[in-house]
Amino acid sequence: MIDAISGLITGDVLLGAGVTIVVTLLTSVISFALGVFAALGRRSSSRARRLIAGGFVETFRNVPALILLIFFAFAIPNVFPVDLRRMIFFDNAFIDGLGAVTLLSIPYYALAAIVALSANTGAHLAEVIGSGIDTIPSQRIEAARSLGASRRTLYRSVIVPDAVRTSFPGITNRLVHNLKNTALVGFVAVPDLFQELQATITRTFQATRTLLLAAVLYLILAALLEFVLGRFEKSIRRGRPTDRLIDV
Amino acid sequence: MSDQIDFILRQIPNLLVGFPNNRPGGLLLSVLLSAGTIAVGFLLATALGFAHHSRWAVLRFLAGRFVWLIRGIPLIVLLVLLFQLLGTGIIFGLELSAFWAAVVTLILYAGAYQGDIVRAGIAAVPAQLIDDARLLGASRVTVARTVTVPYALRVMRPALVTQAITIFKDSSVVVVLGVVDLTTTARIALGSDIQNAPFWVATYLTVGAMYWVVAYGLAKAVRPRRGPRLAPEVAIS
Repeated sequence: MIDAISGLITGDVLLGAGVTIVVTLLTSVISFALGVFAALGRRSSSRARRLIAGGFVETFRNVPALILLIFFAFAIPNVFPVDLRRMIFFDNAFIDGLGAVTLLSIPYYALAAIVALSANTGAHLAEVIGSGIDTIPSQRIEAARSLGASRRTLYRSVIVPDAVRTSFPGITNRLVHNLKNTALVGFVAVPDLFQELQATITRTFQATRTLLLAAVLYLILAALLEFVLGRFEKSIRRGRPTDRLIDV
Repeated sequence: MSDQIDFILRQIPNLLVGFPNNRPGGLLLSVLLSAGTIAVGFLLATALGFAHHSRWAVLRFLAGRFVWLIRGIPLIVLLVLLFQLLGTGIIFGLELSAFWAAVVTLILYAGAYQGDIVRAGIAAVPAQLIDDARLLGASRVTVARTVTVPYALRVMRPALVTQAITIFKDSSVVVVLGVVDLTTTARIALGSDIQNAPFWVATYLTVGAMYWVVAYGLAKAVRPRRGPRLAPEVAIS
């Protein structure tokens, strides 16, 4: 049994797992930042900011991640004529450097995939974090104001931390979903874990065994991410019973 | 520019209802596929939700493991795995087509995600309400039918709508099995023809807009009414 599985886990599969983990981490961080800004933007007093944030959220939340991936990776470069396309997306110093660092043969597809997934998850997180903002009692904000907190301090030390703390279970949920969405990046030629396992199938013809292995590996990755986020949630809640928020 | 418009206009019927020799396809198939699997999946979800609150530990355990299993695996992996298991005669000699493998997968997927919502919905029914009904002499089944389910349904409504929209968007992943839904139709329409390269952006913008209209429209159409209709504390007193 062990032998049969170890034959399937090659160096390429391990590299693919690395790609999945790196893409998950990058998209998690970027989408979290996007989510916080979009959630605040939707509640801004400036009409322009509300429109931009609202447009971002409603656009990227209501289109499937797969369509976003194909659009950013395959469709956008096709806008340009062949020579220009090569220069901008596939053959320049920046892309070459990126390729040398990441060992990816076509780094642009990975970049596009990260943008697409970050935008999709960011839009969903904006709604989750936004509902967290809405639960902050107005007295708490007024209290901070009357203690002389500037707008900046108010956002940095009251609104955002409170909102993130209360909405963390929802954030965890979305980030785990995001991890599973990374399995789609193989569709736009990013050599992630699932893509490499599918390559293994064409090489070994062990389809059933390899696919069961894929399922198990993703279950492990999802459990791992849930564990790490659970630890993180505990650390940001330490010494702050949630009910204190309610009886302000 | 006009050739762009020409191409899109020519493809719009295909994108909406599928290629002439292969209907229903396109957006229509995406809608039918997700609506059908959500409906059947809801039956599974109800069973899972009640199993989760069952008196028998075995049922509770099995329901929990099932939801955990399906929710931990990416849909694209589930689709390919189940097509491999059910499509090539490995299990009971079943040889489902790609389409039916996709249907089965989406039912299990929708069932697991909705099952979690049903579980939470049932948990939200005040225990006192159920006890009162039982005290008044109603049987377990009657209580479930007349108290638990109607109450839970009202609580679950917003979450179920959100989940339905998610499943509709996620159904785009069936492209991996070649089921001719909206995404697959776009891929086939563009093909590998280099001549079609300029039409990619316009085509995927159209496809994105179609998904958007259905998803956003559904969210707006069934937007929860202002304020809960049934405040839990009112129901208890």
